Amino acid sequence: MKKIFIIAVLASLMVSCSKVYEGQNVDPNNPTSVNAETLLRGIELANITVQVSHIQRITGMWMGQYKGAALLYKSLGEYSISGEESNDTWTYIYQSIAKQASVIREKLPSNKSYSGITKIIEANALGTAAALYGDIPFSERANDAFPVPKFDKQVDVYAGIQKLLDEAIVDLTPVSASAVISNDIFFAGKSTTWLRIAYTLKARYFMETRDYAKAYAAALNGINALTLSWKFFPPALVADGDFNLLNTLIDQRGGYLATAGSYMHENLLKAAAVGNRNNTKTNEDARLKYYKITGTAASTELGVAAKNAPMPLVTYEENLLILAEAGLRTVGFAEGLLQLNKLRAVLKSNLGLAAAPATGGTILYEPYVAADFNPGGIENKGSLTADKALMKEIIEERYVSLYGTIIPFNDARRLRKTENDVNVPIPFTTPTATQHPERVIYAQNEINANPNTPKPLPDLYLKTQVNQ
Amino acid sequence: MIKRFLFSFLLVLGCGFLSFAQQKEISGTVSGDDGTPLAGATITVKGSKIATSTGSNGTFKINLPGKSDIIVISFTNYISKEIVVGNLTTFNISLKPAAAELENVVVTVLGFQEKADKFGTASSKIGAPEVVRSGETGLLQGMAGKASGVSITRSTGDPGAGANIRIRGANTITGASEPLIILDGVPISNSEIHGNGSSSTGTGVVQQSRLNDINANDIESIQVLKGASASALWGSRAANGVLVITTKKGKAGGLNISFSSSYSVDEINRKHPMQQIFGQGSAGRYSAIATNSWGDKISERTGGEDVVSGTAYFQGYQTGNKYYAVAPGTAANVHGGKNSKNTFADKNFDAVFGKGHFWQNSLSLSGGNDKSKFFLGLENLSQSGIMRANSNYIRNSVRFNSDHNFGKYIKFSNKAAFINVKSDRIQNNSNTAGLYLGLLRTAPDFDNSDYIGSYFDANGVEFRNRHRSYRRYLGDNVQPTFNNPLWTIFNQTANSNVNRFLLSSEVTSNPFPWLDLILRSGIDASNDGRVYFFPVGSAGERSVGSYRNEKIGEIEKNIDLIARATSALSEDLKGTLIVGANANDRRREILYAEAKNFLDNINLQNFILSSDANTNVINSLLHRSSNRGYTTANLEYKDQLFVNVSGALEAASTISNNFFYPSADVAWQFSKLPAFKNEKFLSFGKIRLAWGKVGVQPTAYNFVTTYETGVYNAYDEGLATTNFGGGYRLDNVKGNNNLKPEVKTEWEVGTDLRFLNNKLSLSMSYYQNKTTDILLNVGLPPSSGFTSQYSNAANMENKGFEADLKYDLVKKKDLNLQVFSNFSRNRNKVISLSGTGTIDLTSQSVSSRAVEGYQLGVLWGPRALRDDKGNFILDANGFPNVDNEQGVIGDPNPDWRGGAGFSASYKSLDFNILFETAQGGDISQGTKSVLYNFGTHEDVGKEITLTETLKNVNGVSFPAGTKVRGNIGNYGKGNVLLDEAWYTSRGAGLGAAAIREFFIGDASWTRLREVSLGYTLSTPSFKKATKFSSMRFSLTGRNLFLWTDIVGFDPEVNQSGVNNGFGQEYFTNPSTRSWLFTVKLNF
Repeated sequence: MKKIFIIAVLASLMVSCSKVYEGQNVDPNNPTSVNAETLLRGIELANITVQVSHIQRITGMWMGQYKGAALLYKSLGEYSISGEESNDTWTYIYQSIAKQASVIREKLPSNKSYSGITKIIEANALGTAAALYGDIPFSERANDAFPVPKFDKQVDVYAGIQKLLDEAIVDLTPVSASAVISNDIFFAGKSTTWLRIAYTLKARYFMETRDYAKAYAAALNGINALTLSWKFFPPALVADGDFNLLNTLIDQRGGYLATAGSYMHENLLKAAAVGNRNNTKTNEDARLKYYKITGTAASTELGVAAKNAPMPLVTYEENLLILAEAGLRTVGFAEGLLQLNKLRAVLKSNLGLAAAPATGGTILYEPYVAADFNPGGIENKGSLTADKALMKEIIEERYVSLYGTIIPFNDARRLRKTENDVNVPIPFTTPTATQHPERVIYAQNEINANPNTPKPLPDLYLKTQVNQ
Repeated sequence: MIKRFLFSFLLVLGCGFLSFAQQKEISGTVSGDDGTPLAGATITVKGSKIATSTGSNGTFKINLPGKSDIIVISFTNYISKEIVVGNLTTFNISLKPAAAELENVVVTVLGFQEKADKFGTASSKIGAPEVVRSGETGLLQGMAGKASGVSITRSTGDPGAGANIRIRGANTITGASEPLIILDGVPISNSEIHGNGSSSTGTGVVQQSRLNDINANDIESIQVLKGASASALWGSRAANGVLVITTKKGKAGGLNISFSSSYSVDEINRKHPMQQIFGQGSAGRYSAIATNSWGDKISERTGGEDVVSGTAYFQGYQTGNKYYAVAPGTAANVHGGKNSKNTFADKNFDAVFGKGHFWQNSLSLSGGNDKSKFFLGLENLSQSGIMRANSNYIRNSVRFNSDHNFGKYIKFSNKAAFINVKSDRIQNNSNTAGLYLGLLRTAPDFDNSDYIGSYFDANGVEFRNRHRSYRRYLGDNVQPTFNNPLWTIFNQTANSNVNRFLLSSEVTSNPFPWLDLILRSGIDASNDGRVYFFPVGSAGERSVGSYRNEKIGEIEKNIDLIARATSALSEDLKGTLIVGANANDRRREILYAEAKNFLDNINLQNFILSSDANTNVINSLLHRSSNRGYTTANLEYKDQLFVNVSGALEAASTISNNFFYPSADVAWQFSKLPAFKNEKFLSFGKIRLAWGKVGVQPTAYNFVTTYETGVYNAYDEGLATTNFGGGYRLDNVKGNNNLKPEVKTEWEVGTDLRFLNNKLSLSMSYYQNKTTDILLNVGLPPSSGFTSQYSNAANMENKGFEADLKYDLVKKKDLNLQVFSNFSRNRNKVISLSGTGTIDLTSQSVSSRAVEGYQLGVLWGPRALRDDKGNFILDANGFPNVDNEQGVIGDPNPDWRGGAGFSASYKSLDFNILFETAQGGDISQGTKSVLYNFGTHEDVGKEITLTETLKNVNGVSFPAGTKVRGNIGNYGKGNVLLDEAWYTSRGAGLGAAAIREFFIGDASWTRLREVSLGYTLSTPSFKKATKFSSMRFSLTGRNLFLWTDIVGFDPEVNQSGVNNGFGQEYFTNPSTRSWLFTVKLNF
């Protein structure tokens, strides 16, 4: 009988067999491989979120361009911020953009369009990361060979980004301007447009590292027409998932964010404010109205937070203002003034929008002349040198024109070091503050999993390397 | 087994021999073991169709065919007895109640009944009557407090809400944490599926636990197998313990009919205290559009009608009242146009909450003969919740269990049930379209009555069906920001309709006296159809309308082939060997579709409401299979020492290789030693020791990295690739083709003791377990290109002690008094997470997490900045700062739990009382934190006169003598003023910016879980008059008293429902207490 038992035991154990399930654990709900081209739209949408979403709004509140009116946004505006706020943005930069870009380039080694475009988007995302966080993983990013990437020095990251953009330029230069990529939601793969964007981005990052001559040189090849601006035009066809992000935020979190009470609106744009930007050649009324965010009801927003209002990533305006500032610094007063007036000409034409904004208002941007910047001129109420006065105006114009991007935050930190006299005098958002934020806190998910994260963790007020 | 076989064999032979003998009349009485005569007991002559039943005084007469010599006496809820007639003609037969006998029987994980005294592992039995008596509509909730080591946590007090059951603490981090449920020998589903239309922590309704589908009246017993050793045969599904539930069987004898009807009245058991002193607004000024209630002092208004302005207005459909714009307060006149001194906090509350009730009717029929028996159970439960509309739970079930003996060698048993559960649920939790969120944030001076109406703009254009809430008092926008709670309960719907079929069928054959062969198969098939409807104007992204339809189909198939051999190896040594094979297959299909952006503002619940571009479909399949070969050998030595060794080898579709689960246990009845022979004090003593391994299966489909559609969302906005022509992204979770099950290895030692002639019984166990290779999404640095990888990475341990005590103070014919109690203490420790900082179990701004070195589930969130010594680092004004790094701010695990009760019966009266307690353990009071911020909580509605000059958080000084709204606090640098500036910044609120550690509360509670008083009528005169054999009335109070330091809600709720994370409350629907009246009739 014992034998029978033993045989039975063995027989039953043999029933347990894993072979029968081979192939059953393949996910029936998600593809295990896709054509690499299908990854591009995701990269582009992720980059929109990186550039003009939560983190941009936070820096915008710090810059006095928005006001955090309630709850979380009120606290964030008042410089209370933790690494949690960066989690999604950081993930998008590395996982949704850098990683996917590398997958595309790996799977489509000979497609120069995809290679060039993904490099530009990746450079834009990583450039934003470098500006916001300082030292970041770069040389070892999104690479299976480096499970815990090291943090590269901010200056090395900027250098790497310039190199990445140079590669993109090499990739795209030979591509025919008529080549079409339907997966590119911005420019349908038009190589000449992407090339211009690559140059403006180069210029942007040279500005941040104070390489003004290189910035000027790059900007000369940068975006040279309004229609070539890199913007997110929300289709706003369905209820959510394709709207202007400010609009969606207001819809979801009414009352969190507004412009009432912000420095830019109350002090610079309102005609009644002391020291506002209006003068005999300038009327900011239309911009005041277009930039206004009521913040409580999404459907009543008609300006920058309208459901289909475009959101700026890299624009013609920025390129002009780089030329203006870098031109003033490296070429001379006349060049600075020339480029500023080009910008004013853009504003004069419907604020640079396709049509007159629904928010209405008076538009007046007459060209300035050199005398306007002489002591006593309309743009020099005090006794600054003409160069300083022009610089001050260009910086302030950058502050207003580049509303909705992180550039004003980058400018403020860049100038605070040596040229604080031309900086926009943004007030603290809370009376107890004694210093302005110099960075954003690293993402908590990176801190948790990457032992290479700088220790001690840099706080909000520690200047990044390029601004030290 | 052998004896039984021989006995029946002989009987058959005997019958043949005696078939020509004479008839003979016998008579007698049948009574319970307490001496009360049993009317309606059945007496059958074994092997024939001759039967009779006892009269009202328990007497019977029956003619015995001459060949027969055995009579069978049976009665519902009593243990049947066979009596050899022999030469006697009169009999006084006493029957033992079934429950008493069952107490000493353990149903093993394979469904076999064993004597508990032979068991080497701890197990708790929960009797079906106790669960029925609890007055809970859900089986799970009814088990609360009744067994040591078993903790039941409700999600909310909503009708049909699921509950979390945890045995001996947490055994996995992100894996399935529910015990395996074996119903009549086959596993069934107890899943709580959130699906796509509702989420577990945020926007959603509470879901049901599928175990609660089962009618408690159909249940014979619930066996809780706690340890690894007892459940190891179920391998990778047994790490969280096993509940072995056995449903009733028919009993031989005449038809027994039992009918019971219960009516319950439920009410809310805790309310958040609200202030009614200050109005809507901020900085002490009234504003009709303000988020907060930090406005003007209501009593200082002039009274009378408000001063209105403008021509635009809202006209409510409820009252017909017109509402015009009211000017906000100014520095000169803080009240603005607001004159009315009326407050509505109570009215608004009572408009939403009332008394809930349920009516439960249950009918059971049972009967049969010694060859065939049946049990039929029918139930109808109809419950309405405490919310005044759209909150209900309706359950109808039918169960038919039958047994049949085909000749001598084959027995067939079939247990089948069909259940239909319908339920309407109310949106809750962190949900702008949820009930509590809108209600409790409503300003005290805002009347919610008119929640829907027409808005007429300044040009007189009418906008119909506009939603009016305190943030949109004119309904001038389709987006209400937060729902008016009346809209939540009347206009939104969320229903579920479940049809479920359960089958367990078993064929047993015993070809040889020593061998049983069992083929057991089961099916659990259910279909849940859910519909969620948010009309145009519901808060959040649903303001454009959202219709969600979800079909969830689950089917589990299971088959076991078991051979069981028993042999007496020698006089002192007996053995049983079981060898079995199992195959199991689980399949879940979900089809979900959502239509949004309705073309018209109407309430038709159909996809015709939206264009194709606004319709979105998701489908998913989850298919898991496993097979096991298993064997278990028992050895009994001198009826004193019992050794049990088992092993199971399992293969599953979710793991790469086979896995082996061994276990062993020993029980030694040392009281049978000669030394204890004359021992009076100790009646029984056993020491047990057990060791075993069990597992948790990996979740399916993790072998390779997949691609997904991307939605990019950094803060409540989102861009979806599907809206831009489609596209994919490589999943941020990296694939892993080397997955093993999580393995829990546990040992336990315990003793079962009985004293004073079995009057006092005590059972104690100590256990230690360690779970290794715990599967989790190990956080990877996002900079590496993935955010996590599902891997066998973590280790965790539990150490615990449990005790159950029962003492029969008096056990007499008319009077029975019994006290009972249980105690459990579990200490968990997350030993290692393999370098991953922490694991989120929930996703709120205070989350329940796994953190190395802490117990599982600790609360993690924004805390105050502290120095090395743990003191606050204060700002210049004496206020704490937020620490940029979040950390552990609380531990929701109780230090210990216990239950204690008393039961008494005197003649026809019986009384039961059960207290339950959980001591230690924290809860995150999210609602309170936010209500402080919004200024609606009573605590922030106080006005104080300062006796010293104080600064607020902004450094503004308030001189002594000033009357200010706020509280005085002290964080170590002297008194400070906690006012609006504090409560609307770091001091309260949500997100990472508020110091949430200040809102962690001690969740210890003690409650009167249940108290019941019953009266049973079964006197002969009653029986004669009514023809009923008995009638019982009982009154039960459920959850009547609660002692806790938590204010505003019952700490026994969980925002995330049935989830591995717990200890959080945030606008979670409230709990209830109830009174329940029951009548039960036996025919």
